[in-house]
Amino acid sequence: MKARILHRADVLKIVDLLRQQGYEVLAPFCGRGRDTCFEPVTDQNRDQIQIHLPNPYYPPKRFVFPHIERLMKFERDNGAIRIEPVYEEGKRAIFGIRSCDVAGIYHLDRFYLGRDFRDIYYENHRKNLFLVNMVCTDVERDINDECFCVCADTGPAAHDHFDLQLMDMGEEFMAVAGTPAGEALFADPIFRKGTDAHIAKRHTILDDVRKRFKTTTSWFSATVRYVSQGDILEKTWEEIGNRCLECGGCTYVCPACTCFTVSDRQVGPNEFERVRIWDACALSGFTRMAGGFNPRKAVHDRRNRRFFRKLAHYFIQRELSMACVGCGRCAAVCHGDIGMPSVVEMIRRATAEMDKNEPVSH
Amino acid sequence: MNQSATENVYLPKIAVLDRVVSEIPEVKTFYWRFEDPAEQQAFQHFRPGQFAQVSLYGVGEFPTSLPPSPTEDETFFTVRQVGSCTSALHQLKAGDKFAVRGPYGNGFPMEEYYGKNLVFVAGGIGLIPLRSCIVYALKNRDKYQRIQIFHGAKTPKELMYAPALHEWEQTPGVECYLTVDRAADGWAGNVGVVGTLFKKPGVQLPVENTVAFVCGPPIMFRFVIKDLLEMGFQERNIVSTLERYMKCGVGKCGHCCIGVAYVCVDGPVFTYEQIKKLGEDI
Repeated sequence: MKARILHRADVLKIVDLLRQQGYEVLAPFCGRGRDTCFEPVTDQNRDQIQIHLPNPYYPPKRFVFPHIERLMKFERDNGAIRIEPVYEEGKRAIFGIRSCDVAGIYHLDRFYLGRDFRDIYYENHRKNLFLVNMVCTDVERDINDECFCVCADTGPAAHDHFDLQLMDMGEEFMAVAGTPAGEALFADPIFRKGTDAHIAKRHTILDDVRKRFKTTTSWFSATVRYVSQGDILEKTWEEIGNRCLECGGCTYVCPACTCFTVSDRQVGPNEFERVRIWDACALSGFTRMAGGFNPRKAVHDRRNRRFFRKLAHYFIQRELSMACVGCGRCAAVCHGDIGMPSVVEMIRRATAEMDKNEPVSH
Repeated sequence: MNQSATENVYLPKIAVLDRVVSEIPEVKTFYWRFEDPAEQQAFQHFRPGQFAQVSLYGVGEFPTSLPPSPTEDETFFTVRQVGSCTSALHQLKAGDKFAVRGPYGNGFPMEEYYGKNLVFVAGGIGLIPLRSCIVYALKNRDKYQRIQIFHGAKTPKELMYAPALHEWEQTPGVECYLTVDRAADGWAGNVGVVGTLFKKPGVQLPVENTVAFVCGPPIMFRFVIKDLLEMGFQERNIVSTLERYMKCGVGKCGHCCIGVAYVCVDGPVFTYEQIKKLGEDI
């Protein structure tokens, strides 16, 4: 991958270049308090774009898979029904997307565009999307207590799946092109060739950042194995389930959750629209059928479901990507402290408990 | 990204209701066809055991099995009135419009069963999805060995597809056994759950080289499986079709996922061997 160097003062010119190319650029901003969010860049707010800040809870997933998305319109006219699909197409760029969220979008690509059926609504958003990945280098602001991308192998610097990657090196930034579209930006005079010293500095920075993560769930891969083999005791799932408040928050903030429900709503006297809305397997109605039968009623069955779907080897192999990218959002928002790192820890402890009971004889 | 034109798999096509036939209380059969003959022709190539998504204007969409065999000319659904969508469908009259997309799912691999004995065990409206296989097998009668049909209902009035049952009872080369939980209306046949038919004198289920199709309410399913396993059936030779809450039918919405399987694309047809591994109530 080609790399170039640019001055700190020129970084936001990348936003300008993308806007000139007709992209609606979404970038991270500070809200009130700790709140941070991705917002469309305008001439007015352009200078308030934050290079380093805590990753917004509301993941940039919504730019390819909106929280509520219109699918089609149904019009009725004298007994006749007309169905018109509703497509939204526009060029969008996400500036400052973190490496974990780049992996999240890659996971969505594998899921929505994979297997037998391609999702046209996702594809329409995705095909015009430009990703400018910002490497997490500011250990005070970029990395919070819950981040564990080093364990999910998604960060602090994404390996792939971005168009352009930026890394803060102090007075300078390194830009790495991940696609021809990203490389095309290097034609602009703000970019210049780097030296071996820049490459060495990149490695030094990454080596240092990797050591600064507070949550290192070294048991992540072991958990994948235990979950895949179905070796986790029902009792452990019950303990996890007992702490679930069934709010669905973990799903809402997850950059790799894909489930949705579909609803038809009236928008005119003879007009309905069909929308899809994010849904959560934490909610009890998720599997309830019209007759009232619910195969997954107990809360621990539903928790089990979430972690199985995210960690089972079968799905990782099928999608060539894991449905957990180590962003730590679920850990940050969960009131019951059963975000991914905690669940990994609970499974580790439960297994240690099982080991104690292991009959060992001479 | 790939710029190729992708088909919108969520977009249903307009269908017209031809006529409605009452089957048993709360269950009706809806004969329909697509407004566009090209759609109709494309749809006709479904496999027994597949399902379709049906849209009702202003209400929503629901999945339903396809009781016709692809060897038949007419397309229809047999639906029990349960929730908002099925109730809306029950309100429709001949000539009314709705929308359909599909067919979806794997279906029963009827070609793989060539040369085998087929045993159909259906409880109540479990006969709806199996009807497709039965009609298909009878149309291709020379491809299969013995064909047995066991059907149980609560009362004689609730026996599904009564005219077809009588026809199958009369068809040479088909062994059709019926039972009801409660006899009424001069019922002279067997009384008891469907499993009691297996032990009746003169009834003999072939076990070797046989595929057993089992479909019905969860309690019936559990007991029939138990009976079949005791008779010596292999778990992989027992097949069923699962029902789940579904929104998309194409493996994306996530509602129907059990264990590692998305019922809509990996199923709805599974062998009992597979069902056991999925690890969830049926």
